[in-house]
Amino acid sequence: MNVEDVFSSKLRIKIVKLLMQMGELNISEIARRLGINHNAASKHLQVLEEEGVLQQKVFGRIRLYRIKENSPKAKAVQNLIEIWEQ
Amino acid sequence: MPQYRSVFKDETKLDISYVPSKLPHRDSELRLLVEFFSFLLKFPAKMSQRVIITGDIGTGKTALSQRFGTDITREASKNGMNLRYVHVNCREYRGSLFIILHHIISVFHPNFPKRGYAAEELLRNLLQILDEENMHLILGLDEFDSLVERESSEAVYKLTRLQEMRQNKSQRLSLICILRDLKTLSRLDASTRSTLQSNLISLEKYSKEQLRDILNDRVSLAFKPLTVSEETVSLIAELASSEGGNARFGIELLWRAGKYADAENLDAVTLECVRKAVSSIIPTVRKSDLASLSFHEKLFLMGIARHFKEGENAHISLSEAEKAYHIVCEEFNIEPHSHTQLWKYLHSLSSVGIIETEVASFGSRGRTTIIYLSRISAHELEKELNALLEKEA
Repeated sequence: MNVEDVFSSKLRIKIVKLLMQMGELNISEIARRLGINHNAASKHLQVLEEEGVLQQKVFGRIRLYRIKENSPKAKAVQNLIEIWEQ
Repeated sequence: MPQYRSVFKDETKLDISYVPSKLPHRDSELRLLVEFFSFLLKFPAKMSQRVIITGDIGTGKTALSQRFGTDITREASKNGMNLRYVHVNCREYRGSLFIILHHIISVFHPNFPKRGYAAEELLRNLLQILDEENMHLILGLDEFDSLVERESSEAVYKLTRLQEMRQNKSQRLSLICILRDLKTLSRLDASTRSTLQSNLISLEKYSKEQLRDILNDRVSLAFKPLTVSEETVSLIAELASSEGGNARFGIELLWRAGKYADAENLDAVTLECVRKAVSSIIPTVRKSDLASLSFHEKLFLMGIARHFKEGENAHISLSEAEKAYHIVCEEFNIEPHSHTQLWKYLHSLSSVGIIETEVASFGSRGRTTIIYLSRISAHELEKELNALLEKEA
């Protein structure tokens, strides 16, 4: 996916910002905090995971998402947001 | 603005959550605990352990477990082993296995969701985390009684057996169950009880001398030099001893007495500060108890209160109390009662709990009765008695 496609969505940026702040969250909690439904959250998370920005950890039925460790793309996005929000 | 001064050097050393680096009079119990877990450092993941620590309130159960937890974690880290100790007060989590397990998982994943699954699933999740991290967890389950009361055998069974049933997997979870009364375990079924009870550490009540050592240690950590006298420590040790050898009570009393000293801008923690502190912690003498005393009992008690108010003594002898009583009688223009009568008054005051008495022997010179006024402030007592006596006189 091109960079403009990945970050054309306001919600995807919001998800990254939320996870930078909280460290780790499950899908329902991400959806609740952003005021969106579970399906929408799930789709955006899938995109961000496929692009190497996020990673998930599965515990039985629970999936916890976080910023992907050691990923240059994840680092670049975090840098951009940090500098922008300073 | 007046300059603030304090008798404290570091009052956090008197906090209930503070675990000192050395636990006076608990060396052998700590060694035993280390012995129970020694295999873990030699053969990690091969076995797990279960230990019960029992003893009355304030006998050092929590401190012992937490001290051990810190020590073994440090030792394991030196050996390159991933071992964690997590201490949970079961009562704080209403004795619910689910909430307790959720709290433990939160240590590793702080935003782990709270809803939507059973305790057993959480336990599996915990074991998964431990497997992935190649970690052994020692779980200190404080106030274990509340878990047993709420969940009975089922919870303990899950905690002890579930990991054993995983085939060809490492042992990840050891338990230290901390409880006041072993009778609670009778609620468990026989097999669960037997797996728990094999390693038992029973803590005896602290003696007055042991309490003095504990308090002296804390004084040196928490107070500025020369602000707490030996007499003050002795009185607090005496009180903690009368509260069932309760070190926690003694430490709290020490802190409160320090607060009273600071509030009155004193250079040192006086015996009167301790008396005020104790009357703020435990229900002391009720006004109705004082009102129901006979006129001469009140006069006698007034003499005792004044003696304590004027001097910095932890105790007085019966003859000193008698002299003080004679002075009070003179003041009220009343003929004092005989020594035998005073002896009876002393017994009745002691049985109501206003004073404490002890018979002390002085070698060949015979025995004398020592009077303590530890539960009520001498100032307060004098004030209260004054009001009552004025009404009656």
